[in-house]
Amino acid sequence: MIFSKSKNSKQKFISCTGNNKKYEFINPKKLYIKQGKENIPIEIITDKQGFVYIIWKKKKYLVNIIEKNQNKYEVLVNGVSYPISVETPFSYKRRKYLANNKEESKIERIQAPMPGKIVEFFVEEDQIIKEGEAVLILEAMKMQNEIISNVSGKINKINFKPDDIVMKDDILIEVEK
Amino acid sequence: MKKIKSILIANRGEIAIRISETAKKMGIRTYGLKTSKEPSAYYLQFMDEIIDLTENTTDIPEFLDIDRIINSIKKYNIDAVHPGYGYLAENPYFAQKCIDEKIIFIGPSPDSIYKLGNKTIAKQLASNHNVPLLEGSNGNIRDIKHAKQLAQKIGLPVIIKAASGGGGRGMRIVENIEDIEKMLRLAQNESEKAFADSSVFMEKYVRSPRHIEFQILADHYGNIIHLGERECSIQRKHQKLIEESPSIALNEELRTKMGESAINIAKASNYRNAGTVEFLLDESGNYYFMEMNTRIQVEHPVTEMVTGFDLVEWQIKIAQEEKLTVKQKDVKLNGWAIECRINAEDVQSDFTPYLGTIEKINISKGKNCRFDTGVTEGSNINANFDSMLAKLICYGETREKAINNSLSVLNKLQIQGIKTTIPFCKAVLNHPKFKKGDISTSFIQKEMKQLYYQETDEEMIAAFWAALNHSVQLDIEDKTFIDYEKGKNITPWLMNKRLKSL
Amino acid sequence: MDINGKIYKDFLSRIERFKVQNGPEKIKKQHAKGKLHARERIALLFDEDSFEELDAFVTSAMPDTGFGKIDEAFGDGVVIGHGRINGRIVYVYSQNFTVMGGSLGAVHAKKIIKVQDLALRVGAPIIGINDSGGARIQEGVASLSGYTSIFHRNIQSSGIIPQISMILGPAAGGAVYSPALTDFVFMVKKTSFMFLTGPDVVKEVLNEDVSFDELGGAEVHARKSGVANFIYEDEENAILGVKKLLSFFPSNNMANPPYIDTKTEQEKNIDKLRAIVPDDPNKPYDVKKVIKLIIDQGSFFEVSELFAPNIVVGFGRLQGKAIGIVANQPKVLAGVIDINSSIKAARFIRFCDSFNIPLLTLEDVPGFLPGLDQEYNGIIKHGAKLLFAYSEATVPKITVILRKAYGGAFCVMNSKNIGGDYSFAWPTAEIAVMGPEGAVSILYKKELQEAEDSKKLQKELAAKYRSEIANPYIADEKGYIDEVIDPAETRKKLITAFETLENKYVDQPSRKHGNIPL
Repeated sequence: MIFSKSKNSKQKFISCTGNNKKYEFINPKKLYIKQGKENIPIEIITDKQGFVYIIWKKKKYLVNIIEKNQNKYEVLVNGVSYPISVETPFSYKRRKYLANNKEESKIERIQAPMPGKIVEFFVEEDQIIKEGEAVLILEAMKMQNEIISNVSGKINKINFKPDDIVMKDDILIEVEK
Repeated sequence: MKKIKSILIANRGEIAIRISETAKKMGIRTYGLKTSKEPSAYYLQFMDEIIDLTENTTDIPEFLDIDRIINSIKKYNIDAVHPGYGYLAENPYFAQKCIDEKIIFIGPSPDSIYKLGNKTIAKQLASNHNVPLLEGSNGNIRDIKHAKQLAQKIGLPVIIKAASGGGGRGMRIVENIEDIEKMLRLAQNESEKAFADSSVFMEKYVRSPRHIEFQILADHYGNIIHLGERECSIQRKHQKLIEESPSIALNEELRTKMGESAINIAKASNYRNAGTVEFLLDESGNYYFMEMNTRIQVEHPVTEMVTGFDLVEWQIKIAQEEKLTVKQKDVKLNGWAIECRINAEDVQSDFTPYLGTIEKINISKGKNCRFDTGVTEGSNINANFDSMLAKLICYGETREKAINNSLSVLNKLQIQGIKTTIPFCKAVLNHPKFKKGDISTSFIQKEMKQLYYQETDEEMIAAFWAALNHSVQLDIEDKTFIDYEKGKNITPWLMNKRLKSL
Repeated sequence: MDINGKIYKDFLSRIERFKVQNGPEKIKKQHAKGKLHARERIALLFDEDSFEELDAFVTSAMPDTGFGKIDEAFGDGVVIGHGRINGRIVYVYSQNFTVMGGSLGAVHAKKIIKVQDLALRVGAPIIGINDSGGARIQEGVASLSGYTSIFHRNIQSSGIIPQISMILGPAAGGAVYSPALTDFVFMVKKTSFMFLTGPDVVKEVLNEDVSFDELGGAEVHARKSGVANFIYEDEENAILGVKKLLSFFPSNNMANPPYIDTKTEQEKNIDKLRAIVPDDPNKPYDVKKVIKLIIDQGSFFEVSELFAPNIVVGFGRLQGKAIGIVANQPKVLAGVIDINSSIKAARFIRFCDSFNIPLLTLEDVPGFLPGLDQEYNGIIKHGAKLLFAYSEATVPKITVILRKAYGGAFCVMNSKNIGGDYSFAWPTAEIAVMGPEGAVSILYKKELQEAEDSKKLQKELAAKYRSEIANPYIADEKGYIDEVIDPAETRKKLITAFETLENKYVDQPSRKHGNIPL
């Protein structure tokens, strides 16, 4: 065989954050983070209640993975959420290549940020809207929330009607850019 | 004078527990309501008796169902009812019904609730008693034309508010005259939904004001005192998030002046029991009466901490027609108290409610700290109720110490299973301008670039944790032994039949 | 013989030429497109050093006519062979885009046919990795003949050995049918496409501007057409996905699915299951939470997640043994059955039945989706597919009714009368001919018309109906279900029930094949 898998001990992982910052770790199981030329060890402790902490440079961080899908993780550190995708050197290259060659989608979907009830639409199909314009009101937890369009364009499709119950991430409106 | 021996607590969550604790301390038997939406709720553990309302549910939420509540009180022969905040706390009809049924309603008279609950009437009361007011519509907005005229007369920006509102619902700020039609409609809509009354009014909108409120206690004999102020300027969409007492913006002179105004409002409405008068305070020390809340407030603990009063105890004492034994001159504000509201909200995604189950919770309070909560491990946070999980109230001799105390407790407070506003509270308390006391109701929009607190290396720790878990997961999958041989061992019975079917 | 002798010299020089042909610059070319090389994919897929290549040195057929140029290359545009995945023999073909764009000519086709025949002969799974520009035009009808022979073998192998397709590049025209005939299709976002007619033709014929991604990208096939069962961000994760999927399958239809040895811990009650179904019968919840709590931790592998999400299908393990799961999803469209969800579930059930994978059904279904659109497009016919699939399946079949089981949908979702082995119900179950509101408005039509407050009366009657008619106890007492169980005990009950059914066999009337309503 010409090609074989890289050995685990040298396996490199690249963690990409939501704002495309990257952190490289070579075999994270060795439990250290490299800073400059120094390998600074990491300690992992679990307390009686089952909270997991990382101790690094004498600081304690509460860590918890709340969602995982394929190689995408949502990690809470001290209650703050970080979306992280763990890439291999190749998939990282691919990511960058695809980001440069992005074929812009013409349709922007406005999704429900939370489950709730639709109170009112401010727009109709075929209407032209501006970025930042409110398109509908969604009532959730007794509060009415304006849902704003992030793009300017034409309303292509409205998928619900007033009084409909929607779930989180339901596509409410499709806007043609 | 009638001594209260038993109380029905017509509320849930932390406030139900809070009321029950004081009542039990006073030797009063407490009754709680078990509802179909959360039949195994935490607050029920704190009640002496539980009234089960889970059978024959109706469309009306149990805590709003006046008839069922009154019937339960009569059935169990309970002396009094404490409504807490929200629900029926400011419903004059309910208070009246209690009087009709000879039940003690722990709160003001129906007449006071009605007058102060209607902002238009409340403002008239205030202006008749020389309490400063913001220029406004002096009544409800009739139509869009009227709204436009008013806006031009008062001068933009203006704010449109629900006449029978509260808690930020039915409020809209108009910055541009073109928006007025949309904003009017939104305010009316929301008001109609929330309070079944679409009437709204308009007033001048003060930019960067502070929210200052005064705690009032009034008995049946005309004695009225105030217990100093609370500052609730850290708000988002008119929802208070961090409150403190006293306020750094008040000196003794202003405190006396505003306190007198607050007492005047209470007097004008023949007020009794505990209440809160809300003012806006502008940068030059002018203050304007906003409204009076005729209930115990969420943020009441900060006042309790600096004055040493148990407000719920006084509510009950006044309800059983005891006299206020404390004079105004004896009320002293000692030290500083700060309350952080811990809500089940995703700060990083525009404070959207975060639903789920509290898997684990860990609090080490220490001295000078109070943690009022209605949830515990296993509690389910769903869309039926508001998102407040807990209130953390910390004390210090000075404001600085109170802030530091709060931060050290927040740093140790861990909740797993849901996202909370803890990182937000930390961000505010660490903010240099907050530390200086340089705050206003637009603090969050204007001063906070990031709504959550972050340690320098947090992102890297997250990146590491994900990478470590991913690599461990890959190893597990790689090493899992899948026993294909076992799958080939088929009993003769099955093999025979399978072969025959070929 | 001497290794430096003449005989070995030729042998070694050929290997040297082969190495040059598969050198780093070819790999770079693929990487520049965000794709892995055909051989890298194979390396990732198989256990270390287990892959044995076949026909590595065959060369492309020369065209009869002098039309067009053909590269002379070892192996033509495809790598074939066998290796072990988690220790088991699996056959593979992996199209090599760096040789003439992976185009398919006579030799290329012959190689694929060779592994297809071998896989069927030994009863081993086969994986096809597609990354090809399509038919090799220079070779003319030979290419078409090659494609057709591949299709024929796909069909012959169907239901005998598991066939999995990975689309890791373009697959256009005839090339799409081989994947479509296999059991599962994997795609990768942004770099894989499947369509019969490309954007150019669409533009020419219909004058519509569409991009590759809009026409046949991974997202489109996962959400809209349902052609892709799994989509991934990148190829490495997709390959991991294939390995995971394979771990649920036996090598062929005569064997049982493999086991994973689990720790033999005492099974405990799972109290969390009691809290998932909301009190309000009209409130949605996520059935995947139920699935994940019932089966072995972390073992759920969902199939066609994005297509017709109102039904959830996927594989999981109970005490290490593979099962297939079909569950209505109340979170989406209240879990109604519509055309797409019927097709999705029916195909999944037939796969499980072919490969002896027992079926667990979790039922919470208010009925079929009403409306002109559904009726015109034949919900009757498509719903019948689901009924047909459940009814013809002879693997162990167990149903748990979580909440609603109304009307026709009750019959379709694996009721005892179509051969379900065991039927359990949670106390939250509502089993009836129709939902309370609807039933009451028919039964009490007159009373409701005459009532002063008809809405209130309807509510009261509906509540009465719910407690007196639509409860699981009547069905239990009359024997239409086997037992009303405590949700916390579901896992234990299922483990025992599946154990008792391990030797299940149903004698079927002999026939060529049934006639499923297609």
